[in-house]
Amino acid sequence: MSTLAVAVESRSPVRRLVWAMPVAAALLVYPWVASQYQAMLLAYGLVMAIAALGFNLLLGYTGLLSFGHSAFFGVGAYTVALMVKYLNVGSMELFLVGAVVGSAVVAGIFGFVCVRYTRIFFGILTLALSQVLWSLAFKFFWVTGGTDGLRVPTPMLVGFSGGKTDKIEFLAHAYYYYVLVIFFACVASMWVIVSSPFGKALQAIRDNETRAEFVGIQVRRYRWVAFLVSGVFTGVAGALWVPLNGLITPENLHWTFSGKIVFMTVLGGFSAFAGPIIGAVLYNYLEAYAVGNTVYWQFVLGTVLVVLVLSLPTGVVGTADRLIARWGGRS
Amino acid sequence: MAAEVNRRDFLNTLGVSVGAALTSAGAALPVVGVAHAQDKPKGNIPDTPFKIGHMTFFTGPAAVLGEPMFKGQQLAAEEINAAGGLLGKRKIELLKADENAGTDANVKELRRLKLSEKIDFFCGITSSGNTPALGPVAEELKLLTIFVDGCTDFLFDKAVPNPHYIFRITNMQSADGVTGAVAAAMTWPKTKKIAHIHPDYSYGRNAFDHFGIVMKKMLPSAENVSEGWPKLGTTDFSSHITKAISSKPDLLAISVWGGDYVAFYKQALRYGMFDKMKVASMIAFGVAPHAIGKDHPEGIIAGVHSNYHFTYPGGDRWPYNKTFVEKYHKRFNEYPNFQAEGGYTATYMLKNAIEKANRLAGGWPDDDAIISMLEGNMMAAPAGYVYIRPDNHQGYKDAVTGFSKNVADYPFPILDPERIITIPIRNITAPPGWPKGEPTSTYTWIDKTWPRAKA
Repeated sequence: MSTLAVAVESRSPVRRLVWAMPVAAALLVYPWVASQYQAMLLAYGLVMAIAALGFNLLLGYTGLLSFGHSAFFGVGAYTVALMVKYLNVGSMELFLVGAVVGSAVVAGIFGFVCVRYTRIFFGILTLALSQVLWSLAFKFFWVTGGTDGLRVPTPMLVGFSGGKTDKIEFLAHAYYYYVLVIFFACVASMWVIVSSPFGKALQAIRDNETRAEFVGIQVRRYRWVAFLVSGVFTGVAGALWVPLNGLITPENLHWTFSGKIVFMTVLGGFSAFAGPIIGAVLYNYLEAYAVGNTVYWQFVLGTVLVVLVLSLPTGVVGTADRLIARWGGRS
Repeated sequence: MAAEVNRRDFLNTLGVSVGAALTSAGAALPVVGVAHAQDKPKGNIPDTPFKIGHMTFFTGPAAVLGEPMFKGQQLAAEEINAAGGLLGKRKIELLKADENAGTDANVKELRRLKLSEKIDFFCGITSSGNTPALGPVAEELKLLTIFVDGCTDFLFDKAVPNPHYIFRITNMQSADGVTGAVAAAMTWPKTKKIAHIHPDYSYGRNAFDHFGIVMKKMLPSAENVSEGWPKLGTTDFSSHITKAISSKPDLLAISVWGGDYVAFYKQALRYGMFDKMKVASMIAFGVAPHAIGKDHPEGIIAGVHSNYHFTYPGGDRWPYNKTFVEKYHKRFNEYPNFQAEGGYTATYMLKNAIEKANRLAGGWPDDDAIISMLEGNMMAAPAGYVYIRPDNHQGYKDAVTGFSKNVADYPFPILDPERIITIPIRNITAPPGWPKGEPTSTYTWIDKTWPRAKA
């Protein structure tokens, strides 16, 4: 894992930009060339990409496998829904602020408990804590709507109401671009974080905790900050996701949803920066088309997961990188 | 304060009848599944297929209840197609989607069906957790929809209080708890202690609330002694069963459904639960009939979601039911449940509205024309008359329940034909004009307007 990560990360930023610019341009023109449904589906993918990106700061960079990221996604989403229900807020910017604060508080507390442990203990603790939130959302139905969930109406984007236009049109255009801007901002800031001395310290902790401690890194504190940042990214994704879906239910707090985030990241490859992004977008298509085309969709997803783990342990991006490197080396 | 009456008068005011004949049918109502001579459609009708997206449970423990819904619609579509299609021209094409994918995947799938597959009509849905999620989405998509089930009162009380594109064909959920409670209070008036086991989500709470409010009116001296809330999809009920038994109730009220109920009754048998108390279920026989074995206890109130059991109306008393059951059995080699009847009736309800709209304006009617025809539409279906109320787009038909009984004719228990209980639906649901209430309009309506039986 670490050798591959080094190989990928040693590429020059210029070469990365060569890859990133056409992709960014394609994302910008996408709603004009693709159908409304496709634009909306990609918006879902981008939102999940933010969540997976945040998740991967823990898995890929810090070496901690969280099985509780549904908690932060759900807190982000429920914060928005509760702001609508109790405070009558309609502004997307306020939703994002609320989600950042909400998920930071929860991630701060959960992180404080969880980063004392690593490996399976860490994973189980995050899972258990997220299940606590799930059961609260499930049981306190007079506040959270229980399994019926809470509805979130069309929000106002930078002060403009999207309520009058057609909802589908709104989601496929205005809201798509809103998601895209936040997505770019999240990718850029995550890039800065993982390239910073802080990011390097996290990777040092991942590779050898004892040595990292000896060079003076406060391991637990660094892990806690990484946990916090990771949770906030996923919380932002939750907030962006609710208006898209129109409804938040406890399903999104359940550990199986955390499993989906893990799946996405493994699908893309957790050792590359772009892995979780590609993985989330791919998973989103995979799930939508599997559910749409067969009642055996669970079988399809399960098969993909098994094949992935057995034959592509570095994920789609890791494998592509390796193939490109091999091809580049030969020519 | 509502007046006090004695129990017999109470039941009379509710119009409850046991094993009774149907009210006479005289009106020339549209009917399902009958190829009566039909006027030639007016105007030009395109011959493009009419695409219907159908979402229900094809996998998981809910499939024994939900999947027959698709079969019902499939049967209707095949009949209509055999006669040339809708308005003689447009063949119905069915697209399946699995409701078991989870609420957010269902929202995505509904959008895909409309925007990518370009369906003309959406149908199906079993779980009451899903209609409040999908109803608003169907409205946003401007997609003509008849939900078959997913019968929560919440949908038209709150989630979509002013529906335009969406309708629902089977009875509202509150009718379920009310029917179960009326049947239990009437059958076992000496009940003093009631235990409850309900799935821990909106349907279970709805059943609990409405069972409770009716008991408060009809058996004011009865009290709840135990509550169990198993999670939906649970297969191990032993803790809930032992808890209920240890509270020594006279009656168990239960709204566990689908594969969950099958698991429940088999486990309850091992604890001798059915010998220790009377049992009133809202939806025990809601599953496909063959999912229940002959080992199922007799004499319990085995609800059918207050909607339909294929043995009633039996024999020649209601020909549409006789022919429907025969056709369904011939096609699928099994007997229909209330969902199958719902899927079948929804398809004919749509066909009928399209034909009416065509007679008025000619050509293929637009959605708004079909919607105006659906509003207030009434037709004779296998289960009896079904009426779509224009103000809330909800279907209403008389509620049905009965007692489990093994007979030689079927390899599974059915509702005892001698003791079918029917209640006119208007007597147990909030009428038009009644203000929206908490937890449901029907709940507040019962609470405020029903008299109390003398203890």
